[in-house]
Amino acid sequence: MSHLKKLESLLYRLITAPSGVAEGLAAEGAGGLDDIVLGDERLSAEARVDIYANMYFYRLLDALKEDFPATLAVLGDDNFHNLVTGYLLEYPPTEPSLYYCGQHLAAYLRDHPLREGAPFAADLATVERAVVEVFHGPDAAALDPDSMRAIAPADWPALKLGIQPSAQILALDWRVSELLRAVEERRDWTPADRGSHRILVWRRDTRVLYRELDQAEADALAAVSRGATFAEICEVVAAGGGDQDPVAAMNRMLARWLADGLLVRG
Amino acid sequence: MLKRRDFPMLGYGVGLRRQHYSHVLETRPSVDWFEVISENFMVAGGRALEVLEGVRASYPIAMHGVSLSIGSTDPLNRDYLRQLRDLARRFEPAWISDHLCWTGVGGRNLHDLIPLPYTDEALRHVVARIREVQDILERPLLIENVSSYMAFADSTMTEWEFISTIADEADCGILLDLNNIFVSAFNHRFDANEYIDAVPAERVVQYHLAGHSDHGTHLLDTHDHPICDAVWALYERAARRFGAVSAMVEWDDNIPEFAELARIADRARTIYETATHTANRESLKKTGKPALPADHRA
Repeated sequence: MSHLKKLESLLYRLITAPSGVAEGLAAEGAGGLDDIVLGDERLSAEARVDIYANMYFYRLLDALKEDFPATLAVLGDDNFHNLVTGYLLEYPPTEPSLYYCGQHLAAYLRDHPLREGAPFAADLATVERAVVEVFHGPDAAALDPDSMRAIAPADWPALKLGIQPSAQILALDWRVSELLRAVEERRDWTPADRGSHRILVWRRDTRVLYRELDQAEADALAAVSRGATFAEICEVVAAGGGDQDPVAAMNRMLARWLADGLLVRG
Repeated sequence: MLKRRDFPMLGYGVGLRRQHYSHVLETRPSVDWFEVISENFMVAGGRALEVLEGVRASYPIAMHGVSLSIGSTDPLNRDYLRQLRDLARRFEPAWISDHLCWTGVGGRNLHDLIPLPYTDEALRHVVARIREVQDILERPLLIENVSSYMAFADSTMTEWEFISTIADEADCGILLDLNNIFVSAFNHRFDANEYIDAVPAERVVQYHLAGHSDHGTHLLDTHDHPICDAVWALYERAARRFGAVSAMVEWDDNIPEFAELARIADRARTIYETATHTANRESLKKTGKPALPADHRA
């Protein structure tokens, strides 16, 4: 191993040591850093490396606070701080952009002791992460009502639609969307209720939106996503519609998807 | 050999930050150019890229990266470089810059600019990597001096010798951050003027102007304060030595109104004009020739 690689590897371990540079050095079995880093009467070698250690943690903590404001509000500052300390040990950043630093937080939270006090927090973090991903997701031109009206009636049965490539449909166990909206709008929030459901997170123009889906719409959107023809989508709606008029239900869904800017050409 | 005149003189610019996206797009403020953080736009789609399209339609831009990690002993991240190249092909920046530092090792990223030891080993390593990066990006790279809080016992040269030799041997440009020079000069007790006087003038393509915070024992490069008088003095010294160099105001936290940033960029223009006018007048009086060669003047 080159001298430079040894130096970088050592500094990486010290900067990311969970209890600070001093304990990191002790774990290395090293007495000090004076033969590596220049210290002076203002700052010892160790204190200088500690500056980087603090910046490492707080830069990532700030980035995660920005991406997960509702999870932060639910857990509180101290718990969130401790969560991030553990998270960075288990999932240290590997990507060039801070955009990725929160990609595993929801999964980490799912098995974390903090779930005892806030069992809905992992679902909340799942939605917040989806909001970030959808915000930066790929663009596609949304279909508008005029372009749909221009389709000849004979072409409808075989018509293939798609949903925005950036959109996500999440399966959740807790109804967290109202809580998230309350935090976004700086209102008081109440804990989420338990309840399996699906939530759609999508982007209209540059704005990220989310809403709960009922079973019929979730099934219909799943059919759209897997490339079903319009006739097949209608069959899904008819099968899941209960007492509803399937044609009216399909029309309602189609109108809403178009208004949401959700549909693209398949 | 790379020379500053190979690049356009963009004038006096500002860092494009999210807080000002709407203002810039809606009012097209009077500022010469924008520097953008490359990684913020290395995404699939959405508002960031839409904003950059809008800004690029009205202004020149330069792309400034924070994660090239040119000094890392990890292999170069070719996926990252390909994305960077594709972004540059799409938005045609005047140049691409990143920092003379390392940001991670062992496949992990510290998201910070960690200094290198100023040794022959590090120098050879960085020179070879810059050459490779320039081949992949299909254009020259500017390397920026970083603020640092630690220096290494086995360094065998000064920071300005290190960056100057790398720029010469890799044939790349230099983005001279005057605040970083000031911060590191305080933290490591060297003479900032000596730094300015030593770097190869023809390779300095851009300046950064920024503020820092004073922690008593050290200065921290926080980009959240106004530019201090001592940094303006360094800028004036640089303006006299280097002539017309594109300058940019870098402010990343506690970001003021856009008009304030534009005003600071205008101050940089005024200082340059006054400094070079004075330098030329003094030189003409003494030698009958202007202080700066013609291609260094605006």
